Amino acid sequence: MLVPLYGFLRGDTIGLVVLCDSDDTMAQVAESLQRAAAMRVAPRPGQRVWFDGRPLDPRLTVARAGLQPLDRIDVAPEDP
Amino acid sequence: MLKRDQWQDLARKLDWELSYVDERAAFPEAVSGKPWLPHREWAGWDEPFRTTYAEYVAQQHAKEAAVHAVRDAVGRVEDFQRLARSWLSAVKLHAATLPLAEFAAVVGNLRAARFGRDSAWRTTAAFGALDELRHTQIPLLVMHDLVRWDEQFDWTHKFLHTNDWVAIAGRHLIDELLLTSDPIEMAIGTNFVFETGFTNLQFVGLSAMARIVGDRMFEKMLQSIQTDEARHSQIGGPVLQVVAAKDKPRAQYLVDKWFWRSWLFFAVVTGFAMDYLTPLEERRRSFKEFVEEWIVDQFDGLLAEYGLSRPWYFEEWRASLSMYHHMVYASAYTHRATVWFDLVCPGPAERAWLAQKYPDSFPLVDPVWEQISSRWRESGPDVEWYTHGATPVTFCDLCQLVLCGGTPQRNSAQIVTHNGRRYAFCSAPCRWIFEQEPERYQDHKDVVKRILAGEAPGNLLELCRLYFGVNQDMWGKDAERGHYPWLKRG
Repeated sequence: MLVPLYGFLRGDTIGLVVLCDSDDTMAQVAESLQRAAAMRVAPRPGQRVWFDGRPLDPRLTVARAGLQPLDRIDVAPEDP
Repeated sequence: MLKRDQWQDLARKLDWELSYVDERAAFPEAVSGKPWLPHREWAGWDEPFRTTYAEYVAQQHAKEAAVHAVRDAVGRVEDFQRLARSWLSAVKLHAATLPLAEFAAVVGNLRAARFGRDSAWRTTAAFGALDELRHTQIPLLVMHDLVRWDEQFDWTHKFLHTNDWVAIAGRHLIDELLLTSDPIEMAIGTNFVFETGFTNLQFVGLSAMARIVGDRMFEKMLQSIQTDEARHSQIGGPVLQVVAAKDKPRAQYLVDKWFWRSWLFFAVVTGFAMDYLTPLEERRRSFKEFVEEWIVDQFDGLLAEYGLSRPWYFEEWRASLSMYHHMVYASAYTHRATVWFDLVCPGPAERAWLAQKYPDSFPLVDPVWEQISSRWRESGPDVEWYTHGATPVTFCDLCQLVLCGGTPQRNSAQIVTHNGRRYAFCSAPCRWIFEQEPERYQDHKDVVKRILAGEAPGNLLELCRLYFGVNQDMWGKDAERGHYPWLKRG
């Protein structure tokens, strides 16, 4: 199932629509947002998906994380 | 012969006590506005210009003659071709967002000319309607000859008829402010906040910049319009005075709501023009400095005169004054194919100027320009898409502009569930405005919701071509196509 999310990359100037599959892991979601914003913010390793004020396990899937369509996620270093 | 002031009120103050119909039926609250007050509360309404119709016609005739004389002298295609390309983008941005919005203001003024609560107010609004018709016609006339040279100028007329994201945001603002608001909200939102507070930025500040860059036609057009704005904006003060005296919370609410909505509009239109599209050597002051003079110093004092407070989000607004238009511009530059004008990539000199003018905020945005510049160096000139996004961006469900609030470190977007539906807001004030009157806004879909509903394509190229109404020949590109001397390698 496709799950559209509002994605905000730390250091970027705008939010992007991240279209995820419910089986995508948080690591893939973070990579996807970084790739989409790469013309403004250079991708870097170690970025985590943050939801509701806490970082999510990179192995967690969108479905297991309980992310709903049009939720807000942030992609930022684990230690902000 | 009687002097003007001896007879004028016989023609201008024409209210009488209604006997065949109830006053509430002749001026129903739904059309005349809240708070509904009997006419005796409005009977003292006055404004300083007190123009007669004969004076109006004579003054407007002289202004028209002056605009046409300038157009004959410096309004030809070759005159515009001599101007900097970046400045022409500022002209295209202004030209598209101005004339049909002014036409909507004709409707708003005509509603006030019928349903305004005092005859002097109605008379001034009738002149305002004639003014706004003129403000529609002048840019359409001036820009029309340029269309054959540059198709982007066609958006002077086309813009508000498209589903381009900026046009959707523009219509959302204009439809509410000018087409559907009652005369009281129109007077406070348009005449007081928008015209007294903000249009000086465009018509005085940008007009001064037009003179410096050598665009005498644009300068004259803006100046001529400003003289009308200065007169009919005076409707706002006396209306606000009555509303503030009788229903202060309503007055404060209308000021707070329209100050924020007007701010977002001008931050994009005027902020882009002053801080990015005006050639560096011609810039004298930053957008922020203009705003501080025209809004913080002058408008702020006016609010106190009416016993009103600064908007509750004033500190958030002060912070956005240094950041918001920088966030939107960098985002728009990297999605430039979605708009009808070209954008400039600021080089080291421009970035140094911006850092000097915005020492606390621009350094947070500067790494984005460093990355964009680095991508240009990698690709070389003429490769537009290596510095361009391919993913749909996000939009606010209130202002319909992009989610560019806050800072690069912390975007201020908020997601809210209302009646089972998700809404995104760029900022706390946009969310607050929505929550005051959700029934007014809840059914409008932003671009993302249209894509998800299958009403608009999700693929960015198709979205541009099939929905926004731009095409490869005329959509926005880098103004120099990446041929900047400072980008050259080795």
